[in-house]
Amino acid sequence: MIRFYIALWASKLLYAINRLRGNARDDRPGLLAFKICPDFLARVAKPKLVITITGTNGKTTTSTLLRNQLVDAGYSVSFNDWGANLHAGYCLNLLRAVTIFNKPKMDVSLLEADENTLGHTMGMIEPNYILVTNICKDSLRRNGHPEYIFDRIQKAFEKLGGKTTAILNANDPISRQLAENTGTPRIFFGMADAHTNPFENRVNDLGVCPVCGGDVEYNYRHYRHIGDYYCPDCDFKTPESDYYATSVDLEGRSITIKERDGSEHEYPLISETIYNAFNVLTAVTVAREVGIRPEAVAAFLETQIVTKIRETCIKYNGIEYHTYGTKSQNVSAASTVFEYMAKEPSVKEVVFCLDEVQDRNHPAETLTWIYETDYEFLKSPNIKKIICAGHMYLNHKLRLLLAGIPEEKIFCVEEDERVPDFVDTEGIDKVYVLFEIDYVVKGGRWRDNIVRRAMELNGDDPSKLDSFDYFDNDSNGASNVKEALN
Amino acid sequence: MKKVEFLYPELCNIYAESYNIEYLSRCCEELEIINTRHGEVPAFARGDVDMIYLGCLTERKQEKVIELLRPYTERIKELIDKGTIFLVTGNAIEIFGKSIEDAGRIIPALGIFDFTAKRYMDVERHNSQYVGMFRDGDGEEILLLGHRSQFSFAYGDFEKTKFVDIEIGIGMNPDTKAEGIHVNNFFGTYSLGPYFIMNPLFAKYILRKLGVDDTLLFEKEAVEAYEYRRDELRRNLG
Repeated sequence: MIRFYIALWASKLLYAINRLRGNARDDRPGLLAFKICPDFLARVAKPKLVITITGTNGKTTTSTLLRNQLVDAGYSVSFNDWGANLHAGYCLNLLRAVTIFNKPKMDVSLLEADENTLGHTMGMIEPNYILVTNICKDSLRRNGHPEYIFDRIQKAFEKLGGKTTAILNANDPISRQLAENTGTPRIFFGMADAHTNPFENRVNDLGVCPVCGGDVEYNYRHYRHIGDYYCPDCDFKTPESDYYATSVDLEGRSITIKERDGSEHEYPLISETIYNAFNVLTAVTVAREVGIRPEAVAAFLETQIVTKIRETCIKYNGIEYHTYGTKSQNVSAASTVFEYMAKEPSVKEVVFCLDEVQDRNHPAETLTWIYETDYEFLKSPNIKKIICAGHMYLNHKLRLLLAGIPEEKIFCVEEDERVPDFVDTEGIDKVYVLFEIDYVVKGGRWRDNIVRRAMELNGDDPSKLDSFDYFDNDSNGASNVKEALN
Repeated sequence: MKKVEFLYPELCNIYAESYNIEYLSRCCEELEIINTRHGEVPAFARGDVDMIYLGCLTERKQEKVIELLRPYTERIKELIDKGTIFLVTGNAIEIFGKSIEDAGRIIPALGIFDFTAKRYMDVERHNSQYVGMFRDGDGEEILLLGHRSQFSFAYGDFEKTKFVDIEIGIGMNPDTKAEGIHVNNFFGTYSLGPYFIMNPLFAKYILRKLGVDDTLLFEKEAVEAYEYRRDELRRNLG
């Protein structure tokens, strides 16, 4: 116990110093707490409500929505919204929520959690809810394969049994099997056919029926392996949902969700993409489970936008210049974004800012993800150019050629600074800088440099560009769209 | 037409392994690709084929494929002895060893080659790249690149049967520079994914072994990417 209090006080002191220095998001206080007291997570007092959010895709958007929703409903919330979704981040999240005497001082701890860490941390934290957004193909280096991630998350449910409640995606044939036979109560959310007509992916994350090895079939798919599925050879099929989106209007940005008692409520969507519709459905499910009224949830969602660390837009001279989080290495996310680029009807140029650093400390960027990702989707007449820069530029070029993209549309260079030279300043509606999500600032810088060049060519002063603070995440009422000149 | 059999594409395609076969088939029209699913009798069991490909798979599916192939163990040995081309990538190579150990559980494998494998599922996944030399018995040398991401290593004496002599990186386990298995025309490596894309010179070598024209699709671009990656790995990891 003495060691725990030393850990708590030392880490709180470091946290206070960091806050004074403007580094409140530095997770070193959490790391310090863990180093001094390895079972800090078990000993630290917990708020009345602890919610863990994990899964391959949608964690950040869903947890940001939920955090804002809970704050809007009057709760005080500790949230690791700085991307520290590992052990140290959990420690910092929880130490912020207690006094120096280890008494809870906040209402809620919202833990965005890396899937890999759940098995050995959630048993100590004992959250009230564990929400799993989905399990899809992710980074080979970080997450291996979906079956491995499933096993890691399942360990948490095996440890916790009835101490937590699982909130699961009925439309995901992989993650919906979680918590089976563990004694953990399960709540499912699901969605009726949104008529998205998804493209076929090169790699099937599910493979075969997990029960009998047969071929799983679909009544409809939303994207990738997410949809309404069944196995003709056994009884494996989409389970009934407790929160079921009976209709989804992506263009009109609304979703109607039917609850267990048969009541239906309409909510606004934060964007026109199917994956963000799932993020809203997921956030509504949790909000309703913790008792926030449907009217309050709907009113709150009216104020929400996609977080700036995922998407921003600067308008200049009739062209929209977007940054768009793409998660390179994460095959499912990258393919979904490529599909969106093809289906979003504007005439556009697409810039890849997707390469991870390759050096002695980061030696493992492979090219497997490039061949698992559906570059073929980019073979669309509304995509005028694809511009790639970075150390993988020759690999992107070869892959684009193999995907059937005409060579005259491909511009690949090693040096970042040459990118703006290839972007047109007329004859297009939009430019999308697709950035690896660890490189929010770099992606923004590339986009800003493209806009600055356009300003310069047009006789405007590029130093007057008004850009974004990407880490101001309180998106309540804030816009992620700006005019270049204010 | 040369027959190339891709075994269990629905199970053995977790890191874009299918691109090995797709690339070969797009390079050469003289190849007949046979995709054998897990409920079907392999084409090699019904007659001769010119090449067999087996790719990386999850641990549970690896055990399933061992059982699917076990009835054909003698036939596989016969084909290796006859010089049929095999390409086996990622942890599929362990299927051809004696056994795989997982937390004390011993999973008997096909026993075609004299080595064992051991999984370390609770330890951090091993990620690395390799640069190494392949020398065939006829004096041909090809510098090969590989990347690995795995929970297991293989143990045994690999010196006489190694595929790649590692210059940068590790071999079948961290204590050896001998990587993969090369016996007759059996080529096995722990490297994952689209091996022919990463190694266009090896793709040309295999096409020549198949007795067809070895010109690659987008050969100039493929070789440029290979040379850049080779130099980058030597610069950063050497």
